[in-house]
Amino acid sequence: MALLSKKDAALLTDPLTDNNPITVQVLGICSALAITAELKASIVMAISVMAVLGVGNVVISLLRNIIPSKIRIIVQLVIVAALVIIVDLILKAFSYELSKTLSVFVGLIITNCIIMGRFEAFALGNGPWKSFLDGLGNSAGYGIILIIVGFFRELLGSGTLLGFKVLGDPIEKTGLYAFGYENNGFMLLSPMALIVVGIIIWVQRSKNKTLIEEN
Amino acid sequence: MSKRTDSNAYTIIFAMIMVVVVGSLLAFFSSFLKPNIDENKRVEKQQNILYAMGINDNDESNANFISSSFAGQEFSKFVKEQLVLEVTDEKVTKLQTREEYMDTNNGQEPYLIDVKQQQNHAKEGKARKLPLFVGEKDGKTFYVAPIYGKGLWDAIWGYVSLDENMVIQGAYFDHKGETPGLGANIKQRYFMDDFIGEYLLTDEGDFKGVTVAKGNNDPKNERKTDYKVDAIAGATITGDGVTAMIKSDLQLYVPYFKSLKN
Amino acid sequence: MEHIELFFKSIFIDNMVFATFLGMCSYLAVSKKLATAVGLGAAVIFVLAVTVPLNWLLDQYILKDGALAWLGPEYVVYDLSFLSFIMFIATIATMVQLVEIIIEKFSPSLYNSLGIFLPLIAVNCAILGGSLFMQSREIPTLGLALTYGVGSGIGWFLAILAIAAIREKIRYSSVPPALRGLGITFIITGLMAIGFMSFGGMLTGGDEKPKEQPKVEAKIEKKEIKKADATKIVAKNTTLNE
Repeated sequence: MALLSKKDAALLTDPLTDNNPITVQVLGICSALAITAELKASIVMAISVMAVLGVGNVVISLLRNIIPSKIRIIVQLVIVAALVIIVDLILKAFSYELSKTLSVFVGLIITNCIIMGRFEAFALGNGPWKSFLDGLGNSAGYGIILIIVGFFRELLGSGTLLGFKVLGDPIEKTGLYAFGYENNGFMLLSPMALIVVGIIIWVQRSKNKTLIEEN
Repeated sequence: MSKRTDSNAYTIIFAMIMVVVVGSLLAFFSSFLKPNIDENKRVEKQQNILYAMGINDNDESNANFISSSFAGQEFSKFVKEQLVLEVTDEKVTKLQTREEYMDTNNGQEPYLIDVKQQQNHAKEGKARKLPLFVGEKDGKTFYVAPIYGKGLWDAIWGYVSLDENMVIQGAYFDHKGETPGLGANIKQRYFMDDFIGEYLLTDEGDFKGVTVAKGNNDPKNERKTDYKVDAIAGATITGDGVTAMIKSDLQLYVPYFKSLKN
Repeated sequence: MEHIELFFKSIFIDNMVFATFLGMCSYLAVSKKLATAVGLGAAVIFVLAVTVPLNWLLDQYILKDGALAWLGPEYVVYDLSFLSFIMFIATIATMVQLVEIIIEKFSPSLYNSLGIFLPLIAVNCAILGGSLFMQSREIPTLGLALTYGVGSGIGWFLAILAIAAIREKIRYSSVPPALRGLGITFIITGLMAIGFMSFGGMLTGGDEKPKEQPKVEAKIEKKEIKKADATKIVAKNTTLNE
């Protein structure tokens, strides 16, 4: 971290815990609920958001002095949508397999409020380098929560991790299932993602008392 | 923010420049890359059809297409004929072979027929063109039919290969934007393989279809004649979409399969 | 009749918050006080009611495959659907910006309490979701699109109203300190969503016809053979290219 001043380093590390986009800033919840039934999808989403937010923040920050405030929302959305669509088109042309995996996420990325939220709250008022760090930090904080939720939902819901049957085979009754363990299919449903995030918040705030809210 | 950027004139000029720049960028990329994208889509259709016939690179548990560089070659090797049925009001009015079809349609290959467009034609009361690919593998004949419908978020589609009795020999499903980890799993081996061996017709020869059913207590899918496969947990609407597209699209082929018998 | 059906379906069965989990961010963050929740809910109803029909027109006359036919027969071949995302979003963003300007003028206090979440309506996935659902479900007429927009908006409004009311009550109960505020809201929303699933059952359940029982005997013999066939085919799939 010698490269970064203390302030810059804080931009990277704060969103991981104390100012986490999901558990503290309440941004990007929809996607956190939709795609965390599987660990793999969570990881892909985390990486895509990191790329889009990092680049998008820099672009918005560079343009921050010429964007008219009256139509800034439209400008922000158009820029991020255009970026994502162009990347999607390029992937479709040159790496079709990869694009098939990613294109499902296109819509989720454009409407992810974490991206708009950071544009609005940070990139519009800060320089490109700082905005870049802020983008990386926030998407990493977002990714961590996504991966934790994805881990528990896939493990408890389907008994697999990244598709590998870590708990044995539920149909052949091997591994844990031999002792009468059953997958909890309920974990795969979206309401359980809400409850898992709720529990993460509980754990986080028990450790860090400063985050506790008044009722 | 400075005063300058708040004026109406500036806002309007900025908006206009942005629309022109972004619009031309998008149009440029979309038209510049179109040949590549179209080629990729064409190869993918061939891979889909071959997959439904059981020609694929599947490993232990994952569904893999054959490599795109062989797709064209294998396609012409295994797919012997591409029939085009014309259906009006659920009655077959015309049957064309590949050559006849290409002669009347500027040389377009039947497998490139846009299923969604044809569904719209049917809705408007016009004739619907139904492609049917006849393939041969290991001395067995496969009839592959495309299906198209909608899931929770967006379009879902697939290819189903049948034998002369309309028993499913293989299926491939795909989707545009179903939820990863839930509805998106219709393109997983464990879901698609479940369809193999399922009957579409009753003993009397009436069309019944296959229902994606929740909790049918048959996770290994041993009962092949129950017209049901096990649903994916948490993906009810996508599953219903699969049921619906199998019913609506494959039903139209019944007259053709009946005519095969006589 | 179909208007009424679609209206109630979009409020209860396809509720934006509880059935499709859209619009969660603002839902969770702005539900602390009933008054703010009502303000945001009303804004969402308004924006949905305007953008869904607008985007329906866009989709029907510009974006859809062959939609440009009204310009003349030579335009039938154009398919601009790759632009639908960006066009929908542009419409929505314009409307949201308009709402923002109106609220700022007429109710500065509401404007201040909505804070960052007003611009965020633009990326409130419920709004874009409304337009995309309208497109993918192929809603046939402009009137129905309006009904659908209003219905979805009211559904979202009811959901945020309910959670805000619950949160106001919770203030008087002793929640574990670390769970106060956001944590308990997440968990309550999860439980409410499970409750709302019962509405979903109204559509999917009960369409199974209890017939075809007597035929079972005739089919039992077939069963063994077909299972064997199926395994053979699966095996063949796996061993191909050898």
